[in-house]
Amino acid sequence: MVKRKLGALEKVEADLPNLQHKIRRDPKSYIEDFRAQHYQYESHREIYMAAPSSATDTGLISLRDLIDFISHVADCYPGICKDFPQQLIDMLMQHHLVLETELREKLVGSLVLLKKKDLLDSATLLHTLFPILVSTPSKTLRALLFQKILSELRTANSKTTNHKLNRTMQTVLFNLVTSDRTSAKGLWAIKITRELWKRQIWTEAKAVEVMKEAALSQNEKVIIGGVRFFLGGDKEREELEDEDSEEEVNVGQVKHQLTINKKTRKKARTAEKAIKAVRSKERKKGNPSPLNFSALHLLHDPQGFAENMFFKHLQNGKSNLKLEQKLQVLQLVSRLVGLHKLHIMPLYSYFQRFLTPRQPSVTSFLASLAQASHDLVPPDVLEPLVQKIANEFVSEASAGEVATAGLNAIREICVRQPLAIEETLLQDLVMYKKSKDKGVMMASKGLLSLYRDVGAQMLKKRDRGKEAAMSLRAGERQERRYGEQAAGEIEGLELLAKWKDEERRKKNIENGLPSDAEDNDEENDEANWAAWNVEDDEDSDVDGEWINVEEDVDIVLSDSEDEGKPASKKAKQEEEDKKDADKEAESAKEIDFMKLATTRILTPADLAKLTELRAQAAANATLPGNKGRVAAPWTSRHTDDPLTAGEIEGLAALSAAKATREERIAHAKEGKTDRSEHMSKEARRKERKEEQGKSTTNKEKARKKNFLMTLGKARSKNKRSLVETRAVLKAHVDRGKRGGRRGNVGQ
Amino acid sequence: MGSSSKRRKDKQKDFQKPKLKVGKTKAKPDNYTDTSFKSKSIVLTQQSLHLAAPTSNATFTHNLSLLSAKSDSQRRDSLAYLTTSISSRPVNSPLPQPVSVILPSLLPLILDGATSVRTQLLKLLRTLPPGDVEDHVAQLLPYVRAGMTHLAADVRSSAVEILSWMVEAAGESTVSCAGGWIKTLNCFLSVLGWHTEESSQWSSSRASFGKSGSQGKPMVKTLGALAVFLDAGIGKPSVDGVDSEMSGDDESPDWPFPLCQTAQHMISDSSTPFAYLNLFGKPRDEEGEMYETREDRYRVFSTRFQPAIERGIKSAREEGGELGRASSGVSKVLKEAIAYGPGP
Repeated sequence: MVKRKLGALEKVEADLPNLQHKIRRDPKSYIEDFRAQHYQYESHREIYMAAPSSATDTGLISLRDLIDFISHVADCYPGICKDFPQQLIDMLMQHHLVLETELREKLVGSLVLLKKKDLLDSATLLHTLFPILVSTPSKTLRALLFQKILSELRTANSKTTNHKLNRTMQTVLFNLVTSDRTSAKGLWAIKITRELWKRQIWTEAKAVEVMKEAALSQNEKVIIGGVRFFLGGDKEREELEDEDSEEEVNVGQVKHQLTINKKTRKKARTAEKAIKAVRSKERKKGNPSPLNFSALHLLHDPQGFAENMFFKHLQNGKSNLKLEQKLQVLQLVSRLVGLHKLHIMPLYSYFQRFLTPRQPSVTSFLASLAQASHDLVPPDVLEPLVQKIANEFVSEASAGEVATAGLNAIREICVRQPLAIEETLLQDLVMYKKSKDKGVMMASKGLLSLYRDVGAQMLKKRDRGKEAAMSLRAGERQERRYGEQAAGEIEGLELLAKWKDEERRKKNIENGLPSDAEDNDEENDEANWAAWNVEDDEDSDVDGEWINVEEDVDIVLSDSEDEGKPASKKAKQEEEDKKDADKEAESAKEIDFMKLATTRILTPADLAKLTELRAQAAANATLPGNKGRVAAPWTSRHTDDPLTAGEIEGLAALSAAKATREERIAHAKEGKTDRSEHMSKEARRKERKEEQGKSTTNKEKARKKNFLMTLGKARSKNKRSLVETRAVLKAHVDRGKRGGRRGNVGQ
Repeated sequence: MGSSSKRRKDKQKDFQKPKLKVGKTKAKPDNYTDTSFKSKSIVLTQQSLHLAAPTSNATFTHNLSLLSAKSDSQRRDSLAYLTTSISSRPVNSPLPQPVSVILPSLLPLILDGATSVRTQLLKLLRTLPPGDVEDHVAQLLPYVRAGMTHLAADVRSSAVEILSWMVEAAGESTVSCAGGWIKTLNCFLSVLGWHTEESSQWSSSRASFGKSGSQGKPMVKTLGALAVFLDAGIGKPSVDGVDSEMSGDDESPDWPFPLCQTAQHMISDSSTPFAYLNLFGKPRDEEGEMYETREDRYRVFSTRFQPAIERGIKSAREEGGELGRASSGVSKVLKEAIAYGPGP
C-alpha cells in the first residue's frame, strides 16, 4: 500500500519531536503547550503506575515518548519540571523488575540526560543506578547500567578529580563487597574499580582497599577478580597509557591535506580537532607526571592481607578453589611477601608438598617460591626446600627440562637469599655446567656466575674465576651475613663526583694551576648556587636527547673464562701493580663521593647531570667487551616485576630433542609474519612495483612482447644484405655515442 | 598477451541475441527469482467453526475483545454493537457484563486517534447506567485528563465531552475523587490557556501548536463543560441535598422511634467508603488529594484557581460572540458559588 501523502498542517498534529524543536527555539511562547504535555505525562504516569504490568501498547508508547520529550526540554522549564527527575527515579527504583524493557532503558537514558542538563547531580544518579545494577536480573539492563555508570564517573572526573564523588562511590563499593561475602555481587565492585583503575581515574588507596576486601571474600569469582586485579591491574594500566600515547596525529600532514583537498566544513573540523589533540598532549607532556603507585604498594597492612589470604584460601582445607585459582592466590601472596619482605613462615612448609616434578604446573609453584624468598627469610627455612628441589629435580637421570627448571628455581631463590644453599650442594650443582644438555648447562652456569658475585668462597677454588678469586684474596669481598643491609646511597653519585673532579682539573689547567690544586670553595659554591635553577642555564644539555657513548672502547669479543693467550709474566706483574694502585685510588674515591653526598646539597643542575651521566653509563655498559662482561640478568630486574613460570622453565627448549626441519621453518617464520611465500628478492620487488601501479622497465617490456609482433622483424633480419647490416650496426654504435635515440644534447 | 582473441570472444558473447526456438519455453532471465515454495501444511491462525450460533453474551464478550483491534473501523463497529446490545436489553435487566469488566477496555479508546471511534465511545458511555459509573470515576478520570491535554485538538474536545457526561452522570464523585478537583481544574486551565496572565489575554499572540481541530468551537464546548464542572464542585447545594442533610439530624421516617441516626451506623452504600484513608495506594500530594466536601473544594478553588478563572472569563467576555455568551454561563456559576461563600 502506498503511503498517503500528508499535508504540512496535518503532519504537525500530535508530533512531539516537532514541538520539542519549537520549544528549543522559543521556550517562552510554548509554555502552555509544554504545560499541557506535562499534565499529559502526569496522567499517563498515573495510569501506568496504577497497574504497571497490565499496560497497553499505546499507553506505553505515549508514556515513553512523553518522558523522552520532557527530559529533552526540561532545562527550559525548571519550575514545572522540578519533580520530574525524582519521579523518574522513583519509577525506576520501585518498578525496575516489572517495567517493560524499552521503557526501562528510556528511563535510564533520560536520567543520564537530565544529569547532563544539570537537573540532577551525579551522586544521586549513581545512587540510583548502582543498586539496580547489583540487583536486576536482566542482562541487557545490567550492561546498559554498567556502561552508564562508568561513563558518568569518567565525565565527572574529566576536568578535575571529583574527590567527593569518588569517595562516596568507593564507600558504596566497599560496603557492597564487605556486606555479604558469600554473594557474587561483589563482582560489580571489582569490574568498576578495575576499569577506573585502568583509566587512572581512581589511583587512591581506597580503591585498592575495595579490591583487597574482594580478594578476601568467600565467593571464588570475587576472590579471583580481586587477585587478578593485583596481579595484572597495573600492567593493564600501563598498556592503556602506552596505547594512548601511540596514536599520533600528524598536524603537518593534516594541514597540508587541507590546502590541497576540497575544503569542507567536516575536514576543517577534523583538522581543528587534530591540532587541539596535539596541543593538549603537549600541555600534558609539560605537566609533571602524576605519581602512580602500583596497587601492591598502596596496600595498607600488607602483612595482614597476605597472612589472611594464605590462611583463608591456601592453608584452609575448606576453601574450594581450583588449582589454577589457588596458584593465582599463591602468586599474589608470594609477590606480596617478596615485595614487602613479609614473614609468613607456614608458607614455606606449605610449598614442600608441591615440589615434585609430577605436580601439575610445578614451574608456577617454583616461581612463586622464588618470589616468596627474600633476604630476611631465615636460611634454615629455605634450605630444606632447596634441598628438596635439588633431590627431586636435578639428577643425571631426570629429563633435561626438569633439571633445568630445578636449577633455575634454585638460582632464583639464591638471588634473593644467597644463604639458602649449603656449600656442598652448591658445588654439586655447579658440576652440571659440564652437562651435555644445553639447557642444564646454561642453568648451572647461571648459578655459578651468581655465586661468583655473591658468595665466591662457597665455590671450589677452580670455579671462582679470576675476578672473584682476586677480590677474595685481597679480602675486600666479604660474605653478606643474614639480615645485613647495604648502606643506602644515591645511585650514580660516584659518576657525578668523578665528573666534578675532572671539571675542576680542566679549569685548573686553564687557569695555569697544578691540576691537583684545591680551588677556592667560595667561587665554586657560587657557581653551584647559580646553577640552582636548571631552566636558566640554557647551554647545559639536560634534554637527554643525546648520550655520549665512548668511542675508544675496543670491542673485544672474548669469554672471560678462557683467555686466548696467557699474558707474559712481566706484563702480569705490571698489571697487578697497576691494579693495586687503582684499588687505592678507588677506595679514596669512595670516601670522596660519600663526602660529596654528605657535605653538599645537590642542586637541580647536579641532579640533571646525574641522570645524564647515569644514562651514559648504562649505554656504555651495554657495549660488548666493556669490562669483560655484561651485567647479569638478575641485576636488571625491577623489584615490582613478577617472576613467571616461563622464566623458571628457562632454556628448556634447548634441552629438548632437535627440532625437525618443518618445526625450524615454522619457528623462523614466527618472527616474519608479513611474508606470504618464499620468493627471490627480484620477484618480490617486481610484485611490489606492480602493486604500487608503477611501470616496468624496457627490458621487461621487450621480454613480455607478443611473439607474433617480433616475428616480422626477426624474419626481415635474416634477409638483410651485408650493406644493410652494416648500416644498422653503424647506427647502433652512433646511437650509443649520442646517448640514445633522443640523445642527451640538451643536458 | 596471447589471450586477446579469447577475450574478444568473451566480449562478443555478451551481445549475442538469445535464440528462441519454436515449441520450447522461453529461457528464464538472469535476474529471475524463484518464488514457489512447498509446505506440508498451511495453518490458519484463527479459525473458530461452530455449528450453533454464538449466544448474545458470547458475541458481547467477543466484541469487547475486538476493541483493541488494529483497524479503527473494526473498533467503531464493535463499539456500535456494544451500544445497541446494552441499550436494547430489556428494562431493568442487568448488563451482559458488569461495568468493571467493560470499562478497562473502553478506557484507552478515550485517547483513540480516530474521531468516529471516539464519538461512538461517547454514545456507548451514555448508555451505561449512571449508578454503576459512579464507582469507576477514579479510573476514568486519568484517561480523561490525558485526553484533555492531548496534542490533537479533536481528542481534547471529545475528552471534554466525556468529562461533561461524567459530571452529568456522577457529579459528586467526579469532583471528590482522588485528584479529581485540582488536577482536572489544572487541565481545564491548560486547555483554555488561562494559566498565566499574558497567555489568557485575547490580544496575546499565543503561538498555538497543532491544528485547531475540525469539530467547530472547542473553546465554547470547553467553557460549557467548565461551567458544569464548577457547578458540581462548588455550586450552591441543591435544596434536596440541604433537605436530606437537615433530615439526617431528625429521625428518619424509615426507622421507627427508638432508632435514631441509624443510617450513620449502617453499612455504606458506596463501593469504597474508606477510599479517603488511602490505605493501599502510595501517599498522595496536595494535587492528588481527595476533596470530599464542598467546603474543602471551595477553599482550594479560591486560593489557587479563582484569580486565573476570573481573568480568563473576563478576557473571554471581551472577545464577545459565541465565546462571550459561553463565558457568561461560567461567570454565572462562579457568582453563585462566591455568593454562597465557603459554606453555611
